[in-house]
Amino acid sequence: MLILSRKSGESIAIGDDITITIVTISGSQVRLGIAAPREVRVLREEIYKAMQEENRAAANVPDSGRKLEDALKQLQSKKPGEPDK
Amino acid sequence: MLSNNYKAKNPANLISNPAGAAVDRLAALGLPDKELFLPAGLLGFPACRHYKLEPFEPGDGSESPFLLLNAVGHDLTFPLIHPASMGLDYRFPRSAELLAALGARAPEDLLPLLIVTLRETLEEITVNLQGPLIVNPTAALGAQLVLEDQPLRHPLLKPEAAEDLMRSR
Repeated sequence: MLILSRKSGESIAIGDDITITIVTISGSQVRLGIAAPREVRVLREEIYKAMQEENRAAANVPDSGRKLEDALKQLQSKKPGEPDK
Repeated sequence: MLSNNYKAKNPANLISNPAGAAVDRLAALGLPDKELFLPAGLLGFPACRHYKLEPFEPGDGSESPFLLLNAVGHDLTFPLIHPASMGLDYRFPRSAELLAALGARAPEDLLPLLIVTLRETLEEITVNLQGPLIVNPTAALGAQLVLEDQPLRHPLLKPEAAEDLMRSR
Protein backbone atom coordinates (compact mmCIF):
# COMPACT_ATOMS: atom_id res chain seq x y z
CA MET A 1 0.00 0.00 0.00
CA LEU A 2 1.34 3.45 -0.90
CA ILE A 3 1.24 5.85 2.08
CA LEU A 4 1.02 9.57 1.42
CA SER A 5 0.40 12.57 3.65
CA ARG A 6 -1.98 15.25 2.47
CA LYS A 7 -3.41 18.41 3.96
CA SER A 8 -6.93 19.69 3.60
CA GLY A 9 -7.52 20.81 0.04
CA GLU A 10 -4.73 18.65 -1.42
CA SER A 11 -5.34 15.81 -3.84
CA ILE A 12 -4.04 12.49 -5.10
CA ALA A 13 -4.13 11.40 -8.75
CA ILE A 14 -4.71 7.67 -9.40
CA GLY A 15 -4.03 6.58 -12.97
CA ASP A 16 -5.24 9.06 -15.53
CA ASP A 17 -8.89 9.17 -14.54
CA ILE A 18 -9.23 9.22 -10.77
CA THR A 19 -8.61 12.04 -8.31
CA ILE A 20 -9.08 11.95 -4.56
CA THR A 21 -9.26 15.26 -2.71
CA ILE A 22 -9.11 15.89 1.03
CA VAL A 23 -12.13 18.18 1.48
CA THR A 24 -12.06 18.67 5.25
CA ILE A 25 -10.41 17.16 8.28
CA SER A 26 -12.43 17.32 11.47
CA GLY A 27 -11.13 15.53 14.53
CA SER A 28 -10.69 11.89 13.56
CA GLN A 29 -12.88 12.14 10.50
CA VAL A 30 -11.70 12.93 6.98
CA ARG A 31 -14.07 14.09 4.29
CA LEU A 32 -12.92 12.87 0.87
CA GLY A 33 -13.97 13.92 -2.60
CA ILE A 34 -13.62 11.30 -5.33
CA ALA A 35 -13.66 12.14 -9.00
CA ALA A 36 -13.79 9.02 -11.16
CA PRO A 37 -15.39 7.87 -14.42
CA ARG A 38 -18.95 6.65 -13.93
CA GLU A 39 -18.00 3.07 -14.75
CA VAL A 40 -15.65 2.93 -11.79
CA ARG A 41 -17.46 1.79 -8.65
CA VAL A 42 -16.61 3.88 -5.59
CA LEU A 43 -17.80 2.39 -2.31
CA ARG A 44 -16.99 2.47 1.37
CA GLU A 45 -14.80 -0.59 1.73
CA GLU A 46 -16.94 -2.37 4.31
CA ILE A 47 -19.96 -2.09 2.00
CA TYR A 48 -17.93 -3.45 -0.90
CA LYS A 49 -16.61 -6.35 1.18
CA ALA A 50 -20.03 -7.24 2.55
CA MET A 51 -21.57 -7.24 -0.94
CA GLN A 52 -18.72 -9.34 -2.30
CA GLU A 53 -19.22 -11.83 0.54
CA GLU A 54 -22.95 -12.02 -0.05
CA ASN A 55 -22.46 -12.62 -3.79
CA ARG A 56 -19.97 -15.36 -2.96
CA ALA A 57 -22.36 -16.95 -0.50
CA ALA A 58 -25.05 -16.99 -3.17
CA ALA A 59 -22.79 -18.49 -5.85
CA ASN A 60 -22.74 -22.21 -6.61
CA VAL A 61 -24.58 -23.27 -3.47
CA PRO A 62 -24.30 -27.09 -3.34
CA ASP A 63 -27.56 -28.89 -4.05
CA SER A 64 -29.21 -25.63 -5.08
CA GLY A 65 -31.70 -27.37 -7.37
CA ARG A 66 -32.98 -29.50 -4.51
CA LYS A 67 -33.02 -26.51 -2.13
CA LEU A 68 -35.05 -24.42 -4.58
CA GLU A 69 -37.45 -27.33 -5.10
CA ASP A 70 -37.76 -27.84 -1.34
CA ALA A 71 -38.42 -24.14 -0.88
CA LEU A 72 -41.18 -24.30 -3.47
CA LYS A 73 -42.69 -27.48 -1.98
CA GLN A 74 -42.74 -26.06 1.54
CA LEU A 75 -44.25 -22.82 0.33
CA GLN A 76 -46.99 -24.62 -1.56
CA SER A 77 -47.92 -26.96 1.32
CA LYS A 78 -47.89 -24.56 4.26
CA LYS A 79 -51.10 -23.23 5.77
CA PRO A 80 -52.24 -19.89 4.31
CA GLY A 81 -50.56 -16.62 5.24
CA GLU A 82 -51.86 -13.19 4.42
CA PRO A 83 -50.77 -12.17 0.91
CA ASP A 84 -48.90 -8.88 0.66
CA LYS A 85 -50.80 -5.85 -0.60
CA MET B 1 -50.97 -20.28 -14.11
CA LEU B 2 -51.83 -17.87 -11.33
CA SER B 3 -54.96 -18.65 -9.33
CA ASN B 4 -56.41 -17.17 -6.15
CA ASN B 5 -56.07 -20.56 -4.50
CA TYR B 6 -52.36 -20.65 -5.14
CA LYS B 7 -51.96 -17.15 -3.76
CA ALA B 8 -53.83 -18.02 -0.54
CA LYS B 9 -51.57 -21.02 0.12
CA ASN B 10 -48.48 -18.97 -0.45
CA PRO B 11 -46.86 -17.63 2.71
CA ALA B 12 -44.06 -15.83 0.87
CA ASN B 13 -46.57 -14.63 -1.69
CA LEU B 14 -44.50 -16.19 -4.47
CA ILE B 15 -46.20 -15.57 -7.76
CA SER B 16 -44.93 -17.47 -10.75
CA ASN B 17 -45.87 -14.99 -13.39
CA PRO B 18 -46.79 -11.67 -11.78
CA ALA B 19 -49.05 -9.21 -13.55
CA GLY B 20 -46.78 -6.76 -15.30
CA ALA B 21 -45.25 -9.79 -16.97
CA ALA B 22 -41.72 -9.18 -15.75
CA VAL B 23 -40.89 -12.72 -16.70
CA ASP B 24 -42.39 -12.25 -20.15
CA ARG B 25 -40.19 -9.23 -20.65
CA LEU B 26 -37.23 -11.30 -19.60
CA ALA B 27 -38.29 -13.72 -22.30
CA ALA B 28 -37.28 -10.94 -24.68
CA LEU B 29 -33.78 -12.05 -23.73
CA GLY B 30 -34.58 -15.21 -25.64
CA LEU B 31 -34.07 -17.35 -22.56
CA PRO B 32 -31.91 -19.29 -22.41
CA ASP B 33 -30.16 -18.78 -25.72
CA LYS B 34 -29.32 -15.09 -25.77
CA GLU B 35 -26.45 -13.94 -23.62
CA LEU B 36 -26.67 -11.23 -21.02
CA PHE B 37 -23.63 -8.96 -20.81
CA LEU B 38 -22.62 -7.35 -17.52
CA PRO B 39 -19.93 -4.76 -18.37
CA ALA B 40 -18.74 -4.62 -14.75
CA GLY B 41 -19.62 -8.18 -13.77
CA LEU B 42 -20.89 -8.92 -10.28
CA LEU B 43 -18.99 -7.70 -7.24
CA GLY B 44 -16.40 -10.33 -6.39
CA PHE B 45 -16.56 -11.90 -9.88
CA PRO B 46 -14.99 -9.36 -12.22
CA ALA B 47 -13.79 -12.00 -14.71
CA CYS B 48 -17.33 -13.18 -15.51
CA ARG B 49 -19.28 -10.81 -17.70
CA HIS B 50 -21.24 -13.09 -19.99
CA TYR B 51 -24.23 -14.91 -18.55
CA LYS B 52 -27.30 -16.81 -19.62
CA LEU B 53 -30.55 -16.40 -17.78
CA GLU B 54 -32.96 -19.31 -17.66
CA PRO B 55 -36.08 -20.20 -15.70
CA PHE B 56 -35.57 -22.66 -12.87
CA GLU B 57 -37.78 -25.62 -13.62
CA PRO B 58 -38.57 -27.97 -10.72
CA GLY B 59 -38.31 -31.68 -11.50
CA ASP B 60 -42.06 -32.18 -11.29
CA GLY B 61 -42.67 -29.64 -14.05
CA SER B 62 -44.48 -27.18 -11.79
CA GLU B 63 -44.03 -23.43 -12.21
CA SER B 64 -41.49 -21.52 -10.22
CA PRO B 65 -40.67 -17.83 -9.90
CA PHE B 66 -36.95 -18.55 -9.70
CA LEU B 67 -34.42 -17.90 -12.44
CA LEU B 68 -30.86 -19.09 -12.79
CA LEU B 69 -28.02 -16.81 -13.82
CA ASN B 70 -25.33 -19.02 -15.35
CA ALA B 71 -21.93 -17.65 -16.31
CA VAL B 72 -20.74 -18.55 -19.80
CA GLY B 73 -17.41 -20.34 -19.77
CA HIS B 74 -17.21 -20.46 -15.97
CA ASP B 75 -18.69 -22.84 -13.47
CA LEU B 76 -20.73 -20.17 -11.77
CA THR B 77 -24.44 -19.95 -11.10
CA PHE B 78 -26.77 -17.76 -9.03
CA PRO B 79 -30.47 -18.18 -8.31
CA LEU B 80 -32.51 -15.02 -8.93
CA ILE B 81 -36.03 -13.82 -8.31
CA HIS B 82 -37.97 -10.77 -9.47
CA PRO B 83 -39.11 -8.74 -6.42
CA ALA B 84 -42.69 -8.67 -7.72
CA SER B 85 -42.69 -12.48 -7.42
CA MET B 86 -42.27 -11.97 -3.67
CA GLY B 87 -44.93 -9.29 -3.50
CA LEU B 88 -42.25 -6.70 -2.78
CA ASP B 89 -42.76 -3.10 -3.82
CA TYR B 90 -39.13 -2.69 -4.75
CA ARG B 91 -37.71 0.62 -5.91
CA PHE B 92 -34.28 1.42 -7.23
CA PRO B 93 -32.86 4.70 -8.55
CA ARG B 94 -33.12 4.90 -12.33
CA SER B 95 -30.52 7.56 -12.96
CA ALA B 96 -29.70 8.91 -16.39
CA GLU B 97 -26.28 7.32 -15.97
CA LEU B 98 -27.77 3.89 -15.29
CA LEU B 99 -30.08 4.14 -18.29
CA ALA B 100 -27.17 5.16 -20.50
CA ALA B 101 -24.94 2.37 -19.18
CA LEU B 102 -27.62 -0.23 -19.94
CA GLY B 103 -28.71 1.24 -23.28
CA ALA B 104 -32.18 2.00 -21.97
CA ARG B 105 -34.30 4.74 -23.49
CA ALA B 106 -36.85 4.85 -20.67
CA PRO B 107 -36.81 3.90 -16.96
CA GLU B 108 -39.46 1.24 -17.66
CA ASP B 109 -36.94 -0.61 -19.82
CA LEU B 110 -35.09 -1.68 -16.68
CA LEU B 111 -35.95 -4.70 -14.52
CA PRO B 112 -34.55 -5.57 -11.10
CA LEU B 113 -33.60 -9.14 -10.29
CA LEU B 114 -32.59 -10.15 -6.79
CA ILE B 115 -29.89 -12.67 -6.01
CA VAL B 116 -31.13 -15.43 -3.71
CA THR B 117 -28.77 -16.75 -1.05
CA LEU B 118 -29.80 -20.32 -0.34
CA ARG B 119 -29.03 -21.69 3.07
CA GLU B 120 -29.61 -24.92 4.94
CA THR B 121 -33.08 -24.08 6.21
CA LEU B 122 -35.95 -22.43 4.35
CA GLU B 123 -36.44 -19.69 6.93
CA GLU B 124 -32.79 -18.64 6.54
CA ILE B 125 -32.97 -18.12 2.76
CA THR B 126 -32.53 -14.46 1.92
CA VAL B 127 -32.60 -12.16 -1.09
CA ASN B 128 -30.12 -9.34 -1.62
CA LEU B 129 -32.04 -6.05 -1.83
CA GLN B 130 -28.86 -4.01 -1.48
CA GLY B 131 -27.22 -5.40 -4.62
CA PRO B 132 -29.92 -5.87 -7.27
CA LEU B 133 -29.00 -7.01 -10.75
CA ILE B 134 -30.60 -4.42 -13.02
CA VAL B 135 -31.28 -5.76 -16.49
CA ASN B 136 -32.31 -4.19 -19.77
CA PRO B 137 -33.77 -7.25 -21.52
CA THR B 138 -33.97 -5.59 -24.94
CA ALA B 139 -30.30 -4.64 -24.98
CA ALA B 140 -29.28 -7.77 -23.03
CA LEU B 141 -27.21 -5.63 -20.67
CA GLY B 142 -27.08 -5.72 -16.91
CA ALA B 143 -25.32 -4.24 -13.89
CA GLN B 144 -25.30 -4.88 -10.18
CA LEU B 145 -26.10 -1.72 -8.23
CA VAL B 146 -25.14 -1.10 -4.61
CA LEU B 147 -27.99 0.56 -2.71
CA GLU B 148 -26.59 1.21 0.74
CA ASP B 149 -29.95 1.97 2.33
CA GLN B 150 -31.37 -1.43 1.45
CA PRO B 151 -30.76 -4.63 3.42
CA LEU B 152 -28.21 -7.12 2.19
CA ARG B 153 -30.28 -10.01 3.51
CA HIS B 154 -34.04 -9.91 3.31
CA PRO B 155 -35.87 -13.11 4.23
CA LEU B 156 -37.59 -14.96 1.42
CA LEU B 157 -40.25 -16.13 3.81
CA LYS B 158 -42.55 -13.78 5.69
CA PRO B 159 -42.03 -13.77 9.50
CA GLU B 160 -45.41 -15.43 10.28
CA ALA B 161 -44.70 -18.20 7.83
CA ALA B 162 -41.17 -18.70 9.19
CA GLU B 163 -42.61 -19.02 12.70
CA ASP B 164 -45.17 -21.58 11.51
CA LEU B 165 -42.39 -23.53 9.89
CA MET B 166 -40.25 -23.58 13.00
CA ARG B 167 -43.18 -24.51 15.24
CA SER B 168 -44.12 -27.38 12.99
CA ARG B 169 -40.73 -29.05 13.39
